[in-house]
Amino acid sequence: MFKALADPTRRQVLQLLRHGPKSAGELAEHFPVSKPTMSAHFAVLRAAGLIDSDKQGKAIIYRLKMSVLEEALMEFSELLGLNLAQRAGKTSGHANLRKASTK
Amino acid sequence: MILKRTSFAIALAVLTLGMAAGLKYAGSLDLIGPEAARRTMQVTVGLILAAYSNLMPKDVGPWRASAAAMARSQSALRVGGWSMTLAGLAYAGLWAFAPLAFADVASTAVVASAMVITLGYGGWTLLACRSSKRQPLDVGGHV
Repeated sequence: MFKALADPTRRQVLQLLRHGPKSAGELAEHFPVSKPTMSAHFAVLRAAGLIDSDKQGKAIIYRLKMSVLEEALMEFSELLGLNLAQRAGKTSGHANLRKASTK
Repeated sequence: MILKRTSFAIALAVLTLGMAAGLKYAGSLDLIGPEAARRTMQVTVGLILAAYSNLMPKDVGPWRASAAAMARSQSALRVGGWSMTLAGLAYAGLWAFAPLAFADVASTAVVASAMVITLGYGGWTLLACRSSKRQPLDVGGHV
């Protein structure tokens, strides 16, 4: 969970989902990264249990699934700019992202 | 999932009852006073309320066809979760540190206010949901 919250892109995805469920395409529009990278971010968030997804037609819809504590932790790391978890899990985090994008 | 939740709830109930019995026993042995026993029990109740409410926004339920309905139910769960969690923590804090007479009144007021906020906002979102037209999810693109 800490690794999932450590990445600013993933935190921004969670912020966007606060306003309600969004399709993967809608979310991806906000980030200058490739679709496979976004998919990998979604996979990490889903694995951490922070978001939930549903396939509707050709699209995948995501919605927020965060507890109060998880949301508070996200806010703290966002406000204080804490990247400690990111530093600690940099190597393993990147490895997870690569693994998720190859799935 | 239901079995897991029920088991957790039963375990928590057993823990609470065991704690109450333990505190009563400790009181009968003059190990703790009645005030300390009462405070300990009420702090536990506050923390249990906070722990349960913490998970409230995670319990998102089944997928709905309407984007607006899902956004509103998510918003109601978040408002309820936050208000009840903060109320639980405030309840525990008041019983831990405030004078007994003040804690008695203030803790009830805090939890009652949180319940009013939760139920009021939930009711308002339900009414808003029923009065609005059904709006399908925008499935403009996919990754």
